[in-house]
Amino acid sequence: MICWMYPGQPVAFTDTYNNDPEFQKIALLCQGATGFNPLESDTSAPSLTRSVRLQLHGVSVSLYRSGLLMSQGAGPDLIAGHSMGIYAALAASGSIDSGTALALTCRLGVAMAGMGEYALGCVIGLTSGPLVAIAANNGVYIANHNTSRHFLLAGGRKEVAAALAEATVSGAFSVNLFPCDAPLHTPLIEAIAGDLRRIVAEYRFSEPRIPLVEHIGQTTLAAATIPAFLVDELCRPVYWETTYRTLRSRGVTRFQEVGAGSVLTKFNRWIDSDT
Amino acid sequence: MSDELIEKVKQMIIDSLRIEGMATDEIDADAPLFGEGLGLDSIDALQLVVAMEKEFGVVVPDAATGSTVFASVRSMAGYIGEHRK
Repeated sequence: MICWMYPGQPVAFTDTYNNDPEFQKIALLCQGATGFNPLESDTSAPSLTRSVRLQLHGVSVSLYRSGLLMSQGAGPDLIAGHSMGIYAALAASGSIDSGTALALTCRLGVAMAGMGEYALGCVIGLTSGPLVAIAANNGVYIANHNTSRHFLLAGGRKEVAAALAEATVSGAFSVNLFPCDAPLHTPLIEAIAGDLRRIVAEYRFSEPRIPLVEHIGQTTLAAATIPAFLVDELCRPVYWETTYRTLRSRGVTRFQEVGAGSVLTKFNRWIDSDT
Repeated sequence: MSDELIEKVKQMIIDSLRIEGMATDEIDADAPLFGEGLGLDSIDALQLVVAMEKEFGVVVPDAATGSTVFASVRSMAGYIGEHRK
């Protein structure tokens, strides 16, 4: 059984696919739906924040790679998305089309971009116990539980920086701070949840043709549950390790990462070695 | 350090990082492992830390040490040679 996995927002732009006519088609679609052209990531749509442009770039790459795989006759038995990977995952499941995936990414991203100055903090090496305490000490949240030793913190920039410093002192192997404009996957997003719900309510979601397993409670999404999930997932953490283990227990034997990079594949590798 | 140890380190990298279709002779012992070269990242680094401890009983205590140790296969082999019991 094969699962296609859709990663979240990349941390940098890539021009790897710019010369491929199929990616150029997706880029045009993105430009039409959002004003942002992934072929000109650094200069296109300057009114959008870097975070929103990165989100759109990530979804564009995933949509392109989905199309490429499908054109080769490949197809998944199950689909899973991590964080902002949900929009491309929904498109792959047949619930929405690619243009809607890009428009949703953009509109939700823009709505969150007005929240202020935040940061994400990647912590590698510590286990959950000490990191929960560090997050509490510094007033930040664990936004991603990726593996037993890979976590993402989210919160105010100063607070995340202080948490990363404490994590380093506590023995973290590696820490990295990424400035962003929204405290993704934290309860802080609930302040604008009404706006997000109103945006999502403007779209229609079909029943997924391929089962899509979500990353909070590991349920299979249905047309009726997708709108609430799209807002809920921005207010709650991603539980990737639990999701991966659930997919394994549901019979998945092969995972294909459909996006830029291979971060989910590396998380899965760690989880396997940790078992 | 011995060529045998360098070969073992290369094989450990291939196995622990599940690099498919790569043979040990395709890895340059002096090429950088991060960025250019094999293009490894900090997720890979932690996987290598655990693999080194499991296979050679050698501990890389922090990222600062890791950035020196994981500069290349040769530097990894050198660190293992110095620290293994």
